[in-house]
Amino acid sequence: MKLSSKVLSVAALLAAAVTPGFAQADEELNKLSSDPKNWAMQAGNYANQRYSDLKQVNKSNVNKLQVAWIFSTGVLRGHEGSPLVIGDTMYVHTPFPNNVFALDLETQKIKWKYAPKQDPAVIPQMCCDTVNRGVAYGDGKIFLQQADSMLVALDAKSGKVVWSVKNGDPKLGAVNTNAPHIFKDKVITGISGGEWGVRGYISAYDIKTGKLAWRGYSTGPDAEMGIDPKTTMTWTDGSMQPVGADSSLKTWKGDQWKIGGGTTWGWYSYDPQLNLLYYGTGNPSTWNPAQRPGDNKWSMSIWARDVDTGNVKWVYQMTPYDEWDFDGINEMVLADINVRGQSRKVLVHFDRNGFGYTLDRVSGELLVAQKFDPAVNWATHVDMKSGRPQVVSRYSTAQNGPDVNSKGVCPAALGSKDQQPAAFSPKTKLFYVPTNHVCMDYEPFAVEYVAGQPYVGATLSMYPPPGEKNMGNFIAWDASEGKIVWSKPERFSVWSGALATAGDVVFYGTLEGYLKAVDLNGQELWRFKTPSGIIGNVFTYEWRGKQYVGTYSGIGGWAGIGMAAGLEKDQDGLGAVGGYKELRDFTDLGGTLTVFALPSN
Amino acid sequence: MKWPWLFAALLTGFVLPTGAEEKVQTDLYTVVDGYMVDPNTLQGFRTWRAAACDRCHGANQEGLVGPALVESLKVLTREEFKKTVTDGRLEKGMPSFSTSKTVTEHLDQLYAYLKGRADGAIKKAKVEPIR
Repeated sequence: MKLSSKVLSVAALLAAAVTPGFAQADEELNKLSSDPKNWAMQAGNYANQRYSDLKQVNKSNVNKLQVAWIFSTGVLRGHEGSPLVIGDTMYVHTPFPNNVFALDLETQKIKWKYAPKQDPAVIPQMCCDTVNRGVAYGDGKIFLQQADSMLVALDAKSGKVVWSVKNGDPKLGAVNTNAPHIFKDKVITGISGGEWGVRGYISAYDIKTGKLAWRGYSTGPDAEMGIDPKTTMTWTDGSMQPVGADSSLKTWKGDQWKIGGGTTWGWYSYDPQLNLLYYGTGNPSTWNPAQRPGDNKWSMSIWARDVDTGNVKWVYQMTPYDEWDFDGINEMVLADINVRGQSRKVLVHFDRNGFGYTLDRVSGELLVAQKFDPAVNWATHVDMKSGRPQVVSRYSTAQNGPDVNSKGVCPAALGSKDQQPAAFSPKTKLFYVPTNHVCMDYEPFAVEYVAGQPYVGATLSMYPPPGEKNMGNFIAWDASEGKIVWSKPERFSVWSGALATAGDVVFYGTLEGYLKAVDLNGQELWRFKTPSGIIGNVFTYEWRGKQYVGTYSGIGGWAGIGMAAGLEKDQDGLGAVGGYKELRDFTDLGGTLTVFALPSN
Repeated sequence: MKWPWLFAALLTGFVLPTGAEEKVQTDLYTVVDGYMVDPNTLQGFRTWRAAACDRCHGANQEGLVGPALVESLKVLTREEFKKTVTDGRLEKGMPSFSTSKTVTEHLDQLYAYLKGRADGAIKKAKVEPIR
């Protein structure tokens, strides 16, 4: 179903008929997520902050953390996301085939298990391993976004299916890896398949029935995107201006937008006061820029949509005319901080393109855009008036043209940061960011679109920046200035979501499999070697007066795909695996949840 | 030594480039100097790129989430190769390319290119036409 102007206007009328704002918000979920004993959402709260008020585990005693219990998920391969904790129950998910377990926190007994049957044909369609970023809770239901695009609502008590709906066509490569998000009475979910020519969209389903409430495409005619040429605003010549008619169509050659990507598989956030949903859109298809001249709007963009109607309030494109696969889907973290001496409601986003953006989340104004990895070289800076990155010709794969290998582009396609989400501490007002420190050679070439077949059009090799060995850094970032406060080198990309706590401890996992705790200056306080590399997100909760900290371990994802099978020595020097191949010396596949706590005395 | 012909070329100082040229010819492929190939094999390389095989098998066939084809093609027969590409190995993540004309029409060429890589006759993943 497409989002026609009719659907939009009907939705708008309905929304206008009931009380707007957060009066109709899901009160239960608001209550659950404001109690730090729970971990009721993947990011802990609507603002995507990954921060907990719990402080039993703190900087003085974190070095005494020990394993409380371990759970095997029964599935190998990449484990992204985290479990949820609601009251006395933990909800654990797995990569494909996307099993879900409800565990009793008291006994760790399995209360129920949901094991979907999915066509194995979706396995090869999943870019970068068969990951799934976790379930969502709301209205007494657990929501699972399966790989085969089925969005399933399970009764949280019994695990029985309440409703299910098909969100995409896997035969065309439209599959899912993202976690669904519950905002008000809607289940929000995205779509993957940018490497299959999928035209991206975000969808809102009714939490009670699974009926599609609205769908907003990333490209195409205004009405199908939920864009109003007069009221949807964007940063233009130093101020917010209406986007104008056909803002997307004008930036594509012919019908390329129909197979033009802009998928939506990241982490979304929500501001209940503004009633706005924030998310990012991914790369334009194909990876060969010569086949899609123009800015390719609104791929690579930050979006603010009304949760009730899907109408776009503002949109900002970070990487017009992408030439490097700098997929813009990374999380949008909402925070209230001072910028240039003024208290602002901001949105902070660490993009794959290596720039950390601070925008006014009310208006969409661009406030800060600075490199969060000094290695970034594809652009000198972002021009603050136009909001456009200033591309360096040498690293422009479009200017160099098809069948030319552009060498030494930093960051690599997996970005200075990928989906691994950052944490924000309201105490320090700083962001704690897991990053990649990787460069690439990128050679685009002409490809033909065949429905249901890969549509990529570039060959890549990735490796650490010249003269360096560390392929990752864990950094603290000041989003009001756009400055790195400190940077802790890691041998491999930090592909695990961070957690900041009121105990003045920040946690993250490493690809070697260490769960690490650092203090607010980045000094390591504690580490523990889990069974496999960590690409999951660290989470915390309290049960019977005790604080627990946990993480999945199970190597995989893009950085870890070289681990999965058959890795042989490279024939031509630096290959696609590059420095990641040494991961074999540290870890192997796994699928485990490890939960830690302080000893009882 | 990996590229004996290179050292030979260096020794002769490129005075007679044709004399230093290394040519490998089989019923599958012709390779000159390890990277220039006959039109059939070149088509195989183009098919490899068009189908985005490198995303799983590595830019140099060294293996990623999928096996290293520089090794697999040493043991896989031509018929096994064709069946694997056509039907896929879904559980392991290998797609079926039966609906891709680019692949199905150039299976022999793709095999020639990958076999040349596995045999060590094609020394660089990116090949060019014979000049």
